[in-house]
Amino acid sequence: MRLPRLLRTTPFRLTLLFLALFAAAASAFLGYIYVATAGEVNRRAQAEISREFESLEAAYRQGGVDALNQTIVERATSERPFLYFLADKDGKRISGSIEESPVSGFTGDGPEWASFKVTETDLDGAEVKAAARGVQQRLDNGEILFVGADVDASEAYVRKIVRALWGAGALVILLGMAGGVLISRNVSRSMQGLVDVVNAVRGGDLHARARVRGTRDEYDELAEGLNDMLDRIERLMGGLRHAGDAIAHDLRSPLTRLRARMEVALIDAENGKGDPVAALETALQDADGVLKTFNAVLAIARLQAAGSAPDQRQFDASELAGDMAELYELSCEDKGLDFKAEIVPALTIKGNREFLAQALANILDNAIKYTPEGGAIMLRARRTSSGELEFSVTDTGPGVPEADRARVVQRFVRLENSRSEPGAGLGLSLVSAVATSHGGRLELAEGPGEYNGMGPGLRVALVLPRVE
Amino acid sequence: MRILIIEDDLEAAGAMAHGLKEAGYDVAHAPDGEAGLAEAQKGGWDVLVVDRMMPKMDGVTVVETLRREGDQTPVLFLSALGEVNDRVVGLKAGADDYLVKPYAFPELMARVEALSRRRETGAVATTLKVGELEMNLINRTVHRQGKEIDLQPREFQLLEFMMRHAGQSVTRTMLLEKVWEYHFDPQTNVIDVHISRLRSKIDKGFDRAMLQTVRGAGYRLDP
Repeated sequence: MRLPRLLRTTPFRLTLLFLALFAAAASAFLGYIYVATAGEVNRRAQAEISREFESLEAAYRQGGVDALNQTIVERATSERPFLYFLADKDGKRISGSIEESPVSGFTGDGPEWASFKVTETDLDGAEVKAAARGVQQRLDNGEILFVGADVDASEAYVRKIVRALWGAGALVILLGMAGGVLISRNVSRSMQGLVDVVNAVRGGDLHARARVRGTRDEYDELAEGLNDMLDRIERLMGGLRHAGDAIAHDLRSPLTRLRARMEVALIDAENGKGDPVAALETALQDADGVLKTFNAVLAIARLQAAGSAPDQRQFDASELAGDMAELYELSCEDKGLDFKAEIVPALTIKGNREFLAQALANILDNAIKYTPEGGAIMLRARRTSSGELEFSVTDTGPGVPEADRARVVQRFVRLENSRSEPGAGLGLSLVSAVATSHGGRLELAEGPGEYNGMGPGLRVALVLPRVE
Repeated sequence: MRILIIEDDLEAAGAMAHGLKEAGYDVAHAPDGEAGLAEAQKGGWDVLVVDRMMPKMDGVTVVETLRREGDQTPVLFLSALGEVNDRVVGLKAGADDYLVKPYAFPELMARVEALSRRRETGAVATTLKVGELEMNLINRTVHRQGKEIDLQPREFQLLEFMMRHAGQSVTRTMLLEKVWEYHFDPQTNVIDVHISRLRSKIDKGFDRAMLQTVRGAGYRLDP
């Protein structure tokens, strides 16, 4: 048999357990109240009866059964609230305010307590039954004396207390139940939100997110954690999917070309035409190109997956910039570009030297590739006023329209007019991945504007956080 | 020259062995780390080519064990594409050079050659001489046929490296790694530009070009 959902939830079970403990504690507490109040009332009534009995016993010991009889008669007619019954040793009534003892089958010496009812006439003349209590005991010479009292008032008081205690008990249980159900519903609903998200994700919907209620409690924390986790997974999955698509897209053409060339070369070789060695050399070049692309994609994916660049250490960023300037200066000269470097000395940085070198090389490669002859390229390394380290490369090429700047950083994106240039469109994506993996960023802006009839140019900056 | 290839990929090892034998090396192959270590410990090798990922014992352990035992045989460490941190791990373990798979065979060849000859040029020299070319390492001057050639500091370093590896193929990546001391993959021909600048200085105006381009590999300085 399946229990209703609510009954199967952990919070509800915990509530039940809690309720049981709570009820036990309440019973002990209410029991104590009962003993302290109702018990006390009964004890007091009993003590008064005992005292009356003892004073009669004293009269008996002084003047024997006659004196006792007299005292009883006197007291029975007075306004004292007691009931008396005196019998000889065979149980035959001698005197008293009641006709027979409420204690039946009295054989021993007592004292024997009994609760009973007396019929009284109230102020209106109506007969009412009232609760009474009394004690019976055999006297020294064998006579039997019973002394009782109307305890109706105290009994009623006790009954009221008991009723109140039962009520309180019921209230405790009811409130506990209601509270438990409420809490477990609340908790279950919070949990259910998370369970729904997990189920949705398991079903393949990576966009599902848990609702954060803004209560800053542990459910919010859990929901936020779950959401962050899903964000990261989705980003990585997206990255992978995109990388997969991109690799497929970008490797398909060189692989197709490679295959076609080899096929043609094979046919030529079979016919004794062409130069198989040259064909193999071209094929090798194509294969190298494919590998280069593949390597870059893998490096980007690894950096993104790792979150932060591996093997980071402190080194001289000015030296790095200087080396890159020296390495690329000749390439600029070769292409008829004016190259300048402005490098602030002794800039220290913590990072992966090789990745940062690769990033700068990619930026410079791009600048040289897209700047026409007669243009200029400027490499700068400096610390900004906010303490960040900035490497920037400014060229006087055609630049990138503002609308496209975010796009060119994405993998494999190459603007229409750059498709004629070699390259896989991974350069800036790798720079961006390197920047991110160092806690920095890649910024693209417009260059110096019109220059030698070209422009407006592009300024690419790799900005890294200050070293603490 | 005896070369031991410790590599579990039999096809890759076969191709490598074939190429090295063609080039005149004496080649042996061990198919896993343990066998490779045992073979290497027998001694008498000029270069060890060690793959990173192998069954039984990985390449790092092999190299570390050998180095701990005092074996200083040059090691070329191989690892799979994209393992960004493998180079550091390999060199830290005691490898002398590092190559990422898949590699171009001329690249492997050039590195093995460089490692195998390293011992012979161990002596500290103050001058280097390759054919007509003379380099004084103390006052940093270069002469060809007695004519002084004016070189920039980096050109001097570049030529020094070429002279130390005279007659060997040297790849662009090797030059970037050993002369500039960077390990990245330039997308354009930056190294070529530096080489052609150097070539114009040492070969221009002489009857014979010493600095040769090796197709598919890189450059070679011939005596």
